[in-house]
Amino acid sequence: MDRPNPDLIPLKNRSKAAALALIWPGLGHLYQGRYAKGILYLICIFGLYAVGFALGEGANVYWTWVNPLRDAEHFRLYYLGQFWVGLPAWPALLQATLVHLGHQPILDGFMAAPLLEPGMNDEVRGVMEKVVNHAFSLHQKYGGLKEVGDIYTTIAGLLNVLAIYDAFEGPADRANPSAQASSSTDATAKAEEIGR
Amino acid sequence: MIPLLPIALINTYWFALPLILAISLVYAASRHEEWPRILRHAARLFVMITGILVLATAILLAINTQV
Repeated sequence: MDRPNPDLIPLKNRSKAAALALIWPGLGHLYQGRYAKGILYLICIFGLYAVGFALGEGANVYWTWVNPLRDAEHFRLYYLGQFWVGLPAWPALLQATLVHLGHQPILDGFMAAPLLEPGMNDEVRGVMEKVVNHAFSLHQKYGGLKEVGDIYTTIAGLLNVLAIYDAFEGPADRANPSAQASSSTDATAKAEEIGR
Repeated sequence: MIPLLPIALINTYWFALPLILAISLVYAASRHEEWPRILRHAARLFVMITGILVLATAILLAINTQV
């Protein structure tokens, strides 16, 4: 009878696991059956993002479709990290696209960039003025906490890159034989060899 | 949104600790699969990052107080 080798980590469909890890922190590991790690990533990465998001009252995760070489001031560098948290950060992309195309942002400007453009029509401008006022009021209310929120949300995204890599490739420590990862087919083949 | 005003009274330096903890745990978890190894590596990393930050802060403070 074939017995699974406990030294091998079944990564199942690695691409699917990586995609799930990108969509929501920890989801890829839960799919692979690595529940403890999935929950650890969920708590550490999503928890960090959620606290950072709350510190900025949701006004610190946004994106703008601007060329950083032409308009460096309005380019949102933090979002390059925040993006990797996945679904919790992606509404910002939708809002930026809507505003860029001249449409009114949805959900009362939630996660829209606090920017007023001269070419905006009155409807869009009405929503965006609220977003801008809210973003500026944060500094008065909480001082440097908005920046702490920026850092938390950005680092959370960057940490999820490690989690995505772990879901796709297994743990990075290859020197330890028990940390060796393999796809489910490799695991089955090796388990068969050991069983013989 | 939940009012955060009491949190605004906390010194921002304290916000570094949960950040370092999360970084240490996630990095260690991406390196190992067994929990004892993960926790040992995370603890080492936490102490190292905190130590470097404290040292850097102390040096900068010492320089600033001399200026």
